[in-house]
Amino acid sequence: MQVAIWQVIVITLIAFIYRIERYGTQVNNYNAVLYAWIVGLILGDGLTGLQVGSAVQLMSLGVAAIAGSSVPDYPLAAMVGTVVTIVTGQDQGVGLAVGIAVGMLGVQLDVVAKVLNGFMARKQLAYAQAGEYDKMKRVTFLGPLFYGLTDALPMLIVLLFGGDAVNAILTVVPSWVTSGLSIAGGLLPVIGMAALLSYMPLKQYASYLVVGFALSAYFGVGILPIAMIGGAAAYEVYKHLTSTAVANTALEGGLEDE
Amino acid sequence: MSNEKKLTEADLRRAGIRWCMSVNGYNYETQLAPSVVFAEAEALKKIYGDDDEAYRKSLENAARYFNATPPVAGILLGAGLAMEDQNGNDALEAVQDLKVGLMGSISGIGDALIWIMIPTIFGSIAAYMGQEGNPAGALIFMATMFVCSLCLKVKSWSWGYNFGTQLITTLADKIAALSEAMGVLGLTVVGALIPSVVKLHTPLAITVGEVSFSLQEQLFDKILVGFLPVVATVIVYRLLKKKVSTNMIILGIIVFSLLGAALGFLG
Repeated sequence: MQVAIWQVIVITLIAFIYRIERYGTQVNNYNAVLYAWIVGLILGDGLTGLQVGSAVQLMSLGVAAIAGSSVPDYPLAAMVGTVVTIVTGQDQGVGLAVGIAVGMLGVQLDVVAKVLNGFMARKQLAYAQAGEYDKMKRVTFLGPLFYGLTDALPMLIVLLFGGDAVNAILTVVPSWVTSGLSIAGGLLPVIGMAALLSYMPLKQYASYLVVGFALSAYFGVGILPIAMIGGAAAYEVYKHLTSTAVANTALEGGLEDE
Repeated sequence: MSNEKKLTEADLRRAGIRWCMSVNGYNYETQLAPSVVFAEAEALKKIYGDDDEAYRKSLENAARYFNATPPVAGILLGAGLAMEDQNGNDALEAVQDLKVGLMGSISGIGDALIWIMIPTIFGSIAAYMGQEGNPAGALIFMATMFVCSLCLKVKSWSWGYNFGTQLITTLADKIAALSEAMGVLGLTVVGALIPSVVKLHTPLAITVGEVSFSLQEQLFDKILVGFLPVVATVIVYRLLKKKVSTNMIILGIIVFSLLGAALGFLG
């Protein structure tokens, strides 16, 4: 499909706002599904947005950006993947591959913005020392500007040239490339699963992994009822842990008294 | 400096809202310090009033190195404001010591709960429902993060100001237990997700004489359900444990899938 000017403007703006929100109010910083859905709706295909967003979301699980570390920009990858899938009319795997590539590029731009923000920080301190407090506050807004652009610019380039470029490449590559990318799209969520397992108390509570697996794979239970069962088990574990903690404290207190 | 409190709840809420600058102020030298300056500028102005010299010194202190999970950082920053409210410039060293001394432990709590557990559980529900074309999961995720991230980010300033840092030690035990319990919920959900969201199929079949045995249809869809996704998860898990980077694994999966399509062992 052909992207209209208003769609280019609105989606670029969403990419800008997404980034400031991700670093500022931090409500949708990990919500790739939401952003891909919105971008899909703007392009007239919310369903594709939801599906591409979901694939990226699953990859991203457990891969959090902590303490200023740089990880692939997953919501941007989801938005770019949605745009490319819808604009080219190709398989979602193609959109995902382009989206992930742009999301990784986003990490490099992120480093640039963090360096540029060093100038902002020094400027801010200089204004404070000079007693120019209004300028001190105002110069801080360079931060969100730098960060917003790190996502808005790649998005704009994809919107303007992405569709044609991808289609031009796909006319020369053999068909197994597109089916290979589609297979990769189905397999990539495994990264999120593995990353999560390495965070969680796997050794201690592996049995709950088996419970969830059996309910889903053999009984076909949906995710919400499984989450409820998991939640019930979690509550029992919490009660048990806090009651033993209290008992231990009481015991230690008693010993100190003697 | 007098002992009466100068900051009201409204001042603290205002500081909390200005703290929404958060990571937008991030830089490599002082990390989140520019956002701390931005957030505290007006509260500090109220504390120091017309004493411009003291205000300036306090701002310089706020501009020193700081980094903590933003939604819970307000506990430390609010506690710091209370100290300056009491003792003015005399408290500056103690404020910086407090911030740097406790930012690690408070971030440990904040990262585990707000950046890992909640996005994991609600993100996986959002993705699972999204695959079926239902945006409700993404909206539930947004509502949860609104409370656990944004509301906490603003409110934690008042908690820190009023209760000080003893709050952190009181909460630490409970939060360790909560984090472990959330792990149980997380593992149950991940167990359910592996066979449903990791999609790996093989068209391979074993032919013995006249009889053809399709691995996928007759084995992996019926008896060993979810076997290939489990194998893939175990392999990637091992790679992550060996500190192979996520980007390398992404590339590896794409290359493996392309090979699978070209040679016909995946489909």
